[in-house]
This record gives sequence, C-alpha cells and structure tokens, in this order.
Amino acid sequence: MSTPIMVHLEGVIKHFGTITALRGIDLDLKRGCCLGIFGPNGAGKTTLLRILATLARPSAGTVCIAGYDAVREAEKVRPLLGVLSHRTFLYGHLTAYENLQFYGRMFGLKQLTERIAEVLQIVDLMTYAHQLVRTYSRGMQQRLAIARTILHYPKLLLLDEPYTGLDKHAISRLQDLILRLHSESCTIIMSTHDLYRGLDLCDEIAIQCRGKIVYKGLSLGLDVQGFEQLYSTYVE
Amino acid sequence: MCKDSNSFIVLMSSSKIFLQQVLALLAKDLKTEWRTREIFTSMFVFAVLVVVVFNFAIGADTELIRQVVSGVVWVALLFATVLGLQRAAQMETDEDSLQGVLLALHDRSALFVAKMLAQMLYLLMVVICTLPLCGIWFRIDFIARIGELCLTFALGMLGLSIIGTLFAMIALHTRACEVMLPILFLPISIPLIIAAVYATGQLIDGKSLKDISDYLILMGVFDAVFFSLTLIIFDSVVED
Amino acid sequence: MQKFSSMRYSICHAIIMYIVMTVAIYLIFIDVPPDKMQGIVQKIFYFHVSSALTMFFAFFVVCVASIMYLWKNSDWWDAVALSAAEIGVGFCTLVLITGPIWARPIWGTWWSWDPTLTLTLVLWLIYVAYLMLRLEAYDPKRARFAAILGIVGFVDVPLIRWSVEKWRTLHPKPVLMQEGGTTGLTPAMLLTFLVCLVAFLLLFFYLLRERVSIAQSRHTLTVLRHKIDEILVG
Repeated sequence: MSTPIMVHLEGVIKHFGTITALRGIDLDLKRGCCLGIFGPNGAGKTTLLRILATLARPSAGTVCIAGYDAVREAEKVRPLLGVLSHRTFLYGHLTAYENLQFYGRMFGLKQLTERIAEVLQIVDLMTYAHQLVRTYSRGMQQRLAIARTILHYPKLLLLDEPYTGLDKHAISRLQDLILRLHSESCTIIMSTHDLYRGLDLCDEIAIQCRGKIVYKGLSLGLDVQGFEQLYSTYVE
Repeated sequence: MCKDSNSFIVLMSSSKIFLQQVLALLAKDLKTEWRTREIFTSMFVFAVLVVVVFNFAIGADTELIRQVVSGVVWVALLFATVLGLQRAAQMETDEDSLQGVLLALHDRSALFVAKMLAQMLYLLMVVICTLPLCGIWFRIDFIARIGELCLTFALGMLGLSIIGTLFAMIALHTRACEVMLPILFLPISIPLIIAAVYATGQLIDGKSLKDISDYLILMGVFDAVFFSLTLIIFDSVVED
Repeated sequence: MQKFSSMRYSICHAIIMYIVMTVAIYLIFIDVPPDKMQGIVQKIFYFHVSSALTMFFAFFVVCVASIMYLWKNSDWWDAVALSAAEIGVGFCTLVLITGPIWARPIWGTWWSWDPTLTLTLVLWLIYVAYLMLRLEAYDPKRARFAAILGIVGFVDVPLIRWSVEKWRTLHPKPVLMQEGGTTGLTPAMLLTFLVCLVAFLLLFFYLLRERVSIAQSRHTLTVLRHKIDEILVG
C-alpha cells in the first residue's frame, strides 16, 4: 500500500465498563514518521496502543492502518505491526532460536533460518541462540523481544513504555534500533511517561492526558527544557 | 468468473495460513511440553491416583469394581483434564506470551484449534498409559473391543478438550481461576460423561458397536455442536 | 427500554399479576378436586411444573439476551441476561424443593433421578456457576464470558436431557407411580394448570423488569460516581 498516511484515527472512544479510557482521539501519522506520545499514568496511552495493535476494539470511531480498517480487516493489519512492551511475549522453556522460529512460522516468513540469524546478529545474541530463554538476564530477554518485534519486517512499530526496567546499555541499543528502523522508513509510535528519553528520536510529539490528545506538533527545535515547559502547561 | 476464482484463491490461502498457524502453535506447545513434561506427568499421576483411591474407597469386591471401572476411568480422565488445562493456560500467562500470539494470528480460532489438539494429545497419552494399568489391576480385557474403545475414547476426549479449552481461556481471566475452571467445565460436560461411561461399560461387558451407537451419536453431536459454537464465539473470548 | 422503568406500567403489571395469582390459588386449593390416585399432594404439581417451565423460559431468555449482548454490546441486554439468570436460579431452586416434597408421599423416596429433576439439578449447577462468574459488580470482560456461558449452558440442555433419559433407563423406575405425575389431566385440572402457569410467567416478567431497572440504576450510579471523581480530580 502506498498511501502516505500510515495511521489514521478518527473519533476513537474506548469504554471499559463505566470507565472511559479514550475520549475521542484524532490522529494522522505519515509513513516513515516517528511519533512520541507523552503523558502521565492513566492517560490512556497503553489503551491507545492496544487498539492500534488490534488487541482491543474501540467502542466507537475509526482506526485505519496502511489503508486497512483495523477492526474489520485486522488480519491484514497484524503482519504489518511490530509491538514491543515491557512484557517480552517470549516462551521461557524454548531457546531464542525456537522462539523466533515459532513467530517466523506464524507470520509465514520465507527463508526463516537466514532471517533469524540476521536479527540475532542485530541484537547481538548469536552466541546464546540455543540457550533457554529462562536462563537469560532481563536485558538479554529484552533484546530477544526486540528481535521478535522486527523479525517479520514490520511497517509500523508500536513501543509501549519501552525503557521500563532497562539499563543504560540496553537503552542505547534500543535507541540505535529505533534510529535504524527510522532510516528504513518504518513508522514508529512510542509511548512513554519519561520526558527525557526519546525526545530526540521523534519527529512529532503528542501529549495525551486523561484520554485525549491535548497537544500534537513537530519536535523540531524543541529541547528538553522547552518540552518540559510545554508539558507542564498541558498536563496539570 | 474472475471474482469466483479470486475468492477461491483467497479461501485457499487463508485455509493454508490457518493450517500453518495451527501447526506452528501445536509444535510450540508440544516442544515446550517435551522439555518440561509437566503437563503430562501431573495428568498421568493424578489419573492413577484417582483410580487407586477409588479402588480403596469402593472396597475389595472385584465384581463390584468391574462394574464401576468405566465410571472410575472417566472420572479420573475428567479431573486429569482439568489439571492439564490449568497448567496449559498458565504457560501463556508468563510474560504475557498470549498477547504475542494474538498479534501474529490471522484467524484467532487457530489458537483454539491448536490448544484443543494439544489437550487431546495429552489426554491420549494419559489414556494409553492408564488403561493397561486398569486392565492389569482389575482384570479387564480391553483388547477384545479395542477398535470400538478407541472410537469411544476419541469422541469423549475430543469433547472434553473442546469444552475444556474454551473454559480454560475464560477462567484465565477470572480471579479464582483454579476454582472457576472445574465449576464451569464439569456441569456442561455431564452429557458427554454419561454417554462415555455407559458406552465404555457396555464395551467392557462385551457388547458390540450396535448397542452403543446411540451414545456414540450423542457424543458426536456434542462434539460437533460445541466445536462449531466455540469457533464462532472464540474471538470474543480473547479480544479486549 | 426507558418505558420499562415507568411506574405506572409496573403497577398495572403488579395488579394483574396479583389478580391472576389469587385466581390460581383459589382454583388450586378450592375449586379443583384432588387427583383420584395421588390425593391432595398432587396439587403441588401445579407449582412444580409451572416453576419448571418458567425456569426453562428464564434460561432461554438468558441465552437470547447473551447472544444479543455479544452482538450489540449493549449493557441493557447484559442486565437482562443477569436478571433472568438470577430469577431462573430462584425458580430452579423451587423446582428442586417442590420435587422431593411431591416425591416423598408418592414414590416413598425423596429423590429419584428422573430425567426432568436431574436436568434441573444440572442446570442449577450451570447457572450458579454463571452467577459465580458474574460475582464482580461490573466488569465488561466478565460479562462477555458470562454471556458465552449463558449460550453454551442453554445449548447443552437438549444434550443433557437426551443423555439423562438414556442414563435413567439403567435405574429401576419407582414402582408405585409412573413418571411425570398424574395419569391424565381433566379439563378442570388443565385450566387450573394454565392459570397457574400464566401467574408464574407474570411473576417472572415482573421480577425481571424490577431487577433490570435496579441493574440500570446501579449502572447510572456508577457512571455518575466516576464523573464526580473526575471533576474532583480535574
């Protein structure tokens, strides 16, 4: 699909029983753009990402990803997505290789062995490829999760609080990966409540507060202090 | 004409993907189980325990035990199923791997089919190991009617797996999930148990396929109805 | 849906219901002569069978409401399903109590595993499990699971009935009386039974309406509470 708009959200509302997590989100994101969503806890960032990941249905509104309706054509959208969360989605009793092999088969990847070797190389886990994942350290597990995320050449990357629990080394790795994917025209949406990280990675920033996007704009020329001021004006 | 062949191609390719994903999920589950052998061991040990305890509870009357052995075997299988389902469901909650699977699924019912097949295989292994023991302990000849017994057990285990997998996925989301699974699962499976126990008992007594055909039909209908029903509603179980 | 909670409609319904019930009680205890073979105990049959039919109807409502809830995702249907299940379990318990009371003098035993009673027992287990699943006040995911159970449970009914009937053939029937109760209903008995059935159904609908409106009020209250919380915080 060669539409310039990768993500289109219109009037997205999500209720969980009597609680309204999202109160009408409108968002347009161009292909190849990196969007950072900042906001306090409870703003609904995770809910928004879950809806984009087709893991949850919106109560109302339209969600279009790469021109497909994410609710009605979810199975066409899923192969385009790469989701990274603070849970790794990995199986502890399988080796790294087997985990990636499983996901590769699920996505129907061709030349799987070569691709697995490639991503393991990228995250520098080649030497541990045949060890059980439960023997990995937290940082190694996160690296394998990154490998899992990029295995199937996703066009849209969804990162939900990706820096949680990572040490400096792992953080810089993650940032390298994001830069690399960004240069390959991958569209990225990253949500975090950490104002200091990720600001320089993003082309656009949005601030989400209590279920609404209260600010959206380019990050060009914005430094950390400037962003802090901006943030505090919008988020009480 | 073109549209017809197009939709045919789409149907064929989504069936291919469905099969591919079911096999991938099944392979993953079986591989994990092979590494840990947790599920099979606990199911088998528990089934044997139930049989042995029943044996002592009923008393030393061999003739009496012969009459109830089919009931005892199926109760043992029933409780072993509950145990196996709980452990299988637990596997998916570590590191939220279920979410990862949902992200990769083309058709979500592939997950149901894979889990159900895995459960059937575990039950099959338990049956293969437990029946010979029962044969030896209670002096019952299972070999004479082995074909019909296979059919009966196959239909019964299929039904237990179908209903069990559905409720296991549901119970996963409740707080007292260990308690909820049997409470949900057991009453619904009563028709299946009645039919399976009766059919097995008759076969042990030397009756033929004709005599138990009613019960086999009941089990077949049960399996077909709940399989189709679950395929339809499975999406709403795993979605948010 | 709003008219459901209107007071006037409710009072009319209650009045009609009371009238029909009074007529039913009159017919049962005063008008209809006792059954020749069973005596006065037979009169419990009117309550027993009416309860049983109302119970089946209640669970049918649960099934339909569950399907509608999964399809339309509307809270109202969910409230209907929950209310019908609660009332259904109530009538179910009535059946399980009146059954033995009837059986004891007639068959000499409190419980015989006759198909309908056994089916009722299994349904009781299924729908109590349904209520246990709903124990949390309001959780939409839980409501969805309960809806699934509501559908699965009702679909299972013919299978349970069939299997229990087959199973029953293994057990000796009670010698004194044939199953199902009387040897036949005279026209007077039939009329009494129908009036009683109508009374029970009216009772069911009345309870359903009241219970649904309670559920809706509770829902509105929770929504308002959330709104207040937000205003206070924000």
